[in-house]
Amino acid sequence: MNNNFFEINNVDFKVGNKVKVKNVSFSIQNEGDIICLLGPSGIGKTTILRTIAGLQNIDKGSIELRGKTLSSKKINIEPENRNVSLAFQENSLFPHYDVKKNILLGTERNKGKKKQSINFEELIDLLDISQILNKYPHEISAGEAQRASLARSLITQPDLLLLDEPLSNVDQSFKEEIQEKLKKILNNFKITTIIVTHDSYEAFYLGSKCGIILNQELKQFDDPYNVYHLPNSVDVVNFLNRGILIPAEVTSPKSLENIDLGTITGNFIKPFPIGSKVKLLIQPEDLHHDDASNLKFEVIDRKFRGTNFIYTLKTPTNTLIPVFVHSHHIHQHEVDEKFGIKRPIHIDHIVCF
Amino acid sequence: MKLNTWFFLSFLISSIVLIPIITVFSSFFENTSNYYEILKNTFLIEYIVNSFILLTSVLIFTFLIGTCAAYLVSFYKFPGSDFFKWALILSFAVPPYIYAYSLTAFFENYGTAFTILKNLFGNGDYNKNIPKFDGMFGAILSISFSLYAYVYILARASFLYQSQNLIDLGKNLGFSKFKSFYKIILPAARPAIVAGLSLVAMETLAEFGAVDFFSINTLTTGIYNSWIYFDDLAFANRISFFLLMFIFSLFILENLSRRKAKYHFNSKGGFKQKEKRKLFGFEAFLAFIFCFLIFFISFLFPLTQMMYWTIKFPENLFDLQISNLVLNTLYLVILSSLILIIFSLISNYGNRVSKNKTLNFLSTLSISGYAIPGVILAIAFITFIAWFDNSIIKLLGFASIKKIFIGSIFGLVLVYFVRFYSLAFNGIKSGYEKMNISVDESAYLLGYSKRKTFMNIHIPFLRNSLLFIIILISLEIIRELPITLILRPFNFETFATTAYISASEDLLEAAAVPSLFLILIASLFIMITSKYILREKYE
Repeated sequence: MNNNFFEINNVDFKVGNKVKVKNVSFSIQNEGDIICLLGPSGIGKTTILRTIAGLQNIDKGSIELRGKTLSSKKINIEPENRNVSLAFQENSLFPHYDVKKNILLGTERNKGKKKQSINFEELIDLLDISQILNKYPHEISAGEAQRASLARSLITQPDLLLLDEPLSNVDQSFKEEIQEKLKKILNNFKITTIIVTHDSYEAFYLGSKCGIILNQELKQFDDPYNVYHLPNSVDVVNFLNRGILIPAEVTSPKSLENIDLGTITGNFIKPFPIGSKVKLLIQPEDLHHDDASNLKFEVIDRKFRGTNFIYTLKTPTNTLIPVFVHSHHIHQHEVDEKFGIKRPIHIDHIVCF
Repeated sequence: MKLNTWFFLSFLISSIVLIPIITVFSSFFENTSNYYEILKNTFLIEYIVNSFILLTSVLIFTFLIGTCAAYLVSFYKFPGSDFFKWALILSFAVPPYIYAYSLTAFFENYGTAFTILKNLFGNGDYNKNIPKFDGMFGAILSISFSLYAYVYILARASFLYQSQNLIDLGKNLGFSKFKSFYKIILPAARPAIVAGLSLVAMETLAEFGAVDFFSINTLTTGIYNSWIYFDDLAFANRISFFLLMFIFSLFILENLSRRKAKYHFNSKGGFKQKEKRKLFGFEAFLAFIFCFLIFFISFLFPLTQMMYWTIKFPENLFDLQISNLVLNTLYLVILSSLILIIFSLISNYGNRVSKNKTLNFLSTLSISGYAIPGVILAIAFITFIAWFDNSIIKLLGFASIKKIFIGSIFGLVLVYFVRFYSLAFNGIKSGYEKMNISVDESAYLLGYSKRKTFMNIHIPFLRNSLLFIIILISLEIIRELPITLILRPFNFETFATTAYISASEDLLEAAAVPSLFLILIASLFIMITSKYILREKYE
């Protein structure tokens, strides 16, 4: 018997007759878990949420919540009977009610239910929307509307909460604070949540699991750490934009050889036979700066990213390699200068394809 | 209510509205009498030529008056500009036929103009020097001054929503004010102006009261006459078909330009509220005089003429059973508005939730009722009921149903329903367009059923739109003449029919009292709605 709290089995997610994401399967084991779905714009992330909410039908596979089928080819429980809440990315507040009434409408569903309810004032305070309670949706900013919409969804305390890019319109300076507060509320009230976002850092912070959707498929569904450090396909690497793939040859169970970098040691996450020609993933933090090293490459670009610089180095075979250097590092290199790489090169997780 | 119930209801409503339209089309293939052959070679050409002259002249007049007035009040501040902004739509309260009565009453031999001159300068032969505004020219003036507000309202809305950026662009390019107007401002407002002119065109072709009063033979009066005087329903339907084809082409044109206009209004990005320029001295005086003249000629003139006659011949006031007329008018207005609002709401909601293409197409067709002149609708309705009664009811052995539908309030309201369905349907539709579909979905996800979403979310949201639509429908019904004239029960009169009957009996003085009441009630309705019609906030 299946004990998962929520489960999707072999579902094709469609808009009209067009399949957006095919053959998706994943599950949420425990009530209160948060998972995030990551992917580029237009890939079908929102379609997945709308289908789970019951706003779109499926004709293959099944969607189950607490062991009960919500959607399948034959069953389609109406959205109003699912106790699933979806906070839309765009402003979906009722335009003729003020923000307070909009949020309080969310409490109607749980009237009479013996459930520890989210305190309205506390929620307003956490999301910092007390100053807009008496305003109408057209009088507030997109970020405020998004937070109000989030409050309305949260206060319903649904069995499953679906958030579509919940913080995409929130100011960058305020985003981290809201993320922390959101995580706290979701955890405190054990609200099982699926968040769709294109911001990988948001997904890694909020989700206990992350799904990467690319080319009509759920490519990887794993812990954020694994998605980040142990991507399972070239597509995921390219999507997360976490480095480059360089040609290498496996020389032992713990080493490889690259024409530019020489010997690289570490632990393979997947074994390859000795002598295999592979593509090795080099992430910016894998290589370390060392002016004393005799392995030197030419600097062709330097980007200032606050705490770090990202140097782009050109090897003799014209491969471009990114390297992180702490921005307080004393010796800064200019374009066209030589940049030393510390030897021996050791990478904790060797990712090859 | 399940989704397919909404679909079914919506489908049914649209189909009912389509019946008279289909009747007119099907009648084209029926046999006509010999009278048709005679008329085809004689009057038909005259009908078409007259309709064409009338239409072209009215379009030119309304374009000039409506656009210039809208330009002045949208871009400039001058003495009275805030007043004229809404006062210029009061002309809607004066239907063309009442304008025609006023025009005749004032300029006719020994009319009001004569009396004024006599009082000012003593006895004299003034009649030969007073111009006569009758015949075709009278009809053109009457219709133009009554209908220019369509162009004015839409052009003004378009001018108002033109961003300051657009006007600044003209300045940047070194354009003069005049060049900016015809190179930038006017082309940007073109869809709105064309939409306004299309409405004017439809109303002009449908106009019955004024052209009948001036004895101009147009396609519309031709339809009425061939039915009333020659009892030739088939020929009436045949002319209706020609007129309908003509109107449909205008309707398509209007629809196309409205689509563009909608695009224009929605482009909120980069919108910058423009500031009106203040006019001084002679410029301010000219702007004031222009607007005042339009306001005076279109509204004050017919109002004062009707007031003058009411005071001069007070016996007419007492002869008329005012309370009866008010009750009859209110009865029709309330009944029709309620039915129109309820059915249009259901139909719109059915369209919104079912997202069915066939239903959408059917709804689009069904709203063409507004483009069909009242005379045609009324006759098509009678044709359909007669056919239904003779072929279906009789066949089934039931008693005739003609009395239920023809010459009854029920039949009258039913045809009003078809005629004004598009007003209600489109009004609600544009209200719905402001509400994203995700609002409905949010309601479902908060546990609201379709019915509860409709009652608790949609109705409160549409409240203002509904009020506006009710007033618009009321205004139309108060002014409506041909349908009421043809289908009203025996001895059931409204202000419009009473005025028409008196005028057609050459008792213009007697027509003044109902006309005055009609103008006053309609003005009241316009004043209530002006807030919505002329809203300046970007919504």
